[in-house]
Amino acid sequence: MRYQRRGLDVVSHLLLAAGCGLFFLPVWLAFTASTHSMSDLYTHIAPLWIGDVGLANYARLLSEPVNGLNAGVLRLLFNSLVMATGIAVGKIVISVLAAYAIVFFRFPFRRLCFWLIFITLMLPVEVRILPTYEVVANLQMLDSYSGLILPLIASATATFLLRQFYLTIPPELVEAARIDGAGPWRFLKDILLPLSKTNLAALFVIMFIYGWNQYLWPLLITTDADYMTVVVSLKRMLTTGDALVPWQDVTATAILAMGPPVLVILILQRYFVKGLVDAEK
Amino acid sequence: MATLQLTRLKKRYPNGFVALHGVDLSVAEGELIVIVGPSGCGKSTLLRTLAGLESISDGELTINDRRVNELEPAERDIAMVFQNYALYPHMSVAGNMGYALKNRGIAKDEVRRRVAATAELLGLGELLERRPRQLSGGQRQRVAMGRAIVREPQVFLFDEPLSNLDAKLRVQMRLEIRRLQKRLGVTAVYVTHDQVEAMTLADRLVVMNGGHVEQCGEPMTLYAQPATRFVASFLGSPAMNFLPLTAHQGGVVLPNGIQLALPFTLPEGRAATLGIRPEHLCEAASTTEGAILEVTVEMLEPLGADMLAYTRLPGLDEWLVVRLDGAHAAHEGQRLSLTFSPAHCHVFDAEGRRVAMAEETDAKVRAVQ
Repeated sequence: MRYQRRGLDVVSHLLLAAGCGLFFLPVWLAFTASTHSMSDLYTHIAPLWIGDVGLANYARLLSEPVNGLNAGVLRLLFNSLVMATGIAVGKIVISVLAAYAIVFFRFPFRRLCFWLIFITLMLPVEVRILPTYEVVANLQMLDSYSGLILPLIASATATFLLRQFYLTIPPELVEAARIDGAGPWRFLKDILLPLSKTNLAALFVIMFIYGWNQYLWPLLITTDADYMTVVVSLKRMLTTGDALVPWQDVTATAILAMGPPVLVILILQRYFVKGLVDAEK
Repeated sequence: MATLQLTRLKKRYPNGFVALHGVDLSVAEGELIVIVGPSGCGKSTLLRTLAGLESISDGELTINDRRVNELEPAERDIAMVFQNYALYPHMSVAGNMGYALKNRGIAKDEVRRRVAATAELLGLGELLERRPRQLSGGQRQRVAMGRAIVREPQVFLFDEPLSNLDAKLRVQMRLEIRRLQKRLGVTAVYVTHDQVEAMTLADRLVVMNGGHVEQCGEPMTLYAQPATRFVASFLGSPAMNFLPLTAHQGGVVLPNGIQLALPFTLPEGRAATLGIRPEHLCEAASTTEGAILEVTVEMLEPLGADMLAYTRLPGLDEWLVVRLDGAHAAHEGQRLSLTFSPAHCHVFDAEGRRVAMAEETDAKVRAVQ
């Protein structure tokens, strides 16, 4: 819809600006808090402008271990990055193959397989967390990257989304590829994957953020700070016993923790938006 | 170049539906066979079994005397042009055309050379780097053809390749397909539901109905001597007129009592159908002896060169369509006297099979009042 009215344009832009401001305000407050000293934060009300010890705060945070943990923020960020990337890539690989099998191959109990996958949508990590923990513990995968990643990489959502996309591929395209001598792998590599590029980019972004924001699972299976993720560490930094919470460190870590997901979105947003709006046909 | 032999080819789907009831057909080298029929007659299924996209339930299919029943589509050395072209949307025109060659492990230079040569042949030279969505319908059609040609296959299979084009382009591409097929000399099987396409393209025409081959032969043979009422009704536009009749005293009688002396021998009292094409009915000159059919014009369709008159015989429900000259001054409600030659008459029995004409083909058709 497009209306040719100037007043409407102005009002909509004002509304948009107000919305952006509203969502940006907490981030801004976190950022300003991270540039003040601890004493400032406890003697003044929440600062609205940048303080004078910002660089020092960040430099200290990046070079020294975090309070109460014997791991630096860089290590925590790296752990999160490994976990989020592992989950996103793993989910995509598994979902691509599962959806490919379900849509393009005829085998017994095909529908049953699909519904079994679909039903697991109703079983998020939290519901199956105890048995999963048991399995991972028995496999000696506590405090390891594989333990962080593997239990989370099966994805009914991604399988379902890709299945829906694959179903829109005209059957003639599959047949043309068969006549052109493309076997199953070649069809997947040469035709299906390039066609689902935008969907995969969108899925990667969503799954990366999902992985990055995981809290309960990493909290449960990591006791070693070498494998702790930045999201878990944020919570850990707030539990300081009788001491004051170092808000400047917490907010600075939070700001740093926002970086990688934002980067992923910025890099993939071109595909991401396209993938959500329309599949490139 | 290849010969194609179908022997009692059957296709039964797992749900029990039989799409092909044993099709026999042999295709000579370089021949263009057109399979035509209404939707659901099994013509597409037949083409897909030739391509290897559908398995063959029974019977045998050979290409160049080699049994190919169990071979994958890619191993049969065939190329197929699809109705919706089925171009790979993410590949350039050159990529689309070269994909099959690439899959066969042909060297890149050789692929490029062959794609360029084919593109030249089809006038696609300028478009090689474009994506399919940047092309017009006619150009996509050409790319689909090019993708088939570049492989230099034994057999071309066409699945209603022109039905997504507008009328003008369709005529143009029809000629082009004919020209290319003759020039390349490749055996081709072409499926369509458009009888004009079928008539104009075919070396031989196969009319299918309900999974059976109704008749197979040269287009003009099928037009002039349709073996069944179905073939008669399917070929020709506008369709053949059919009038119910009963054999009576060596001639036939229409339900409204008009008797015609026709050179067909039917047992007395046997019901049958008389078929006569609109183009074979003509207005009787006033001097003609024994004018045959007195009809009333109920509707007119001027087509330019011709004028179609929808007329009815008194006392009959069946339309009798007459092709008049475009400049004819007919008007609705007008009465016309029509005459026709018995050589142009077709009689079909109750099962729809053609009834042979008696010896005296020169006999005059006369109304016996």
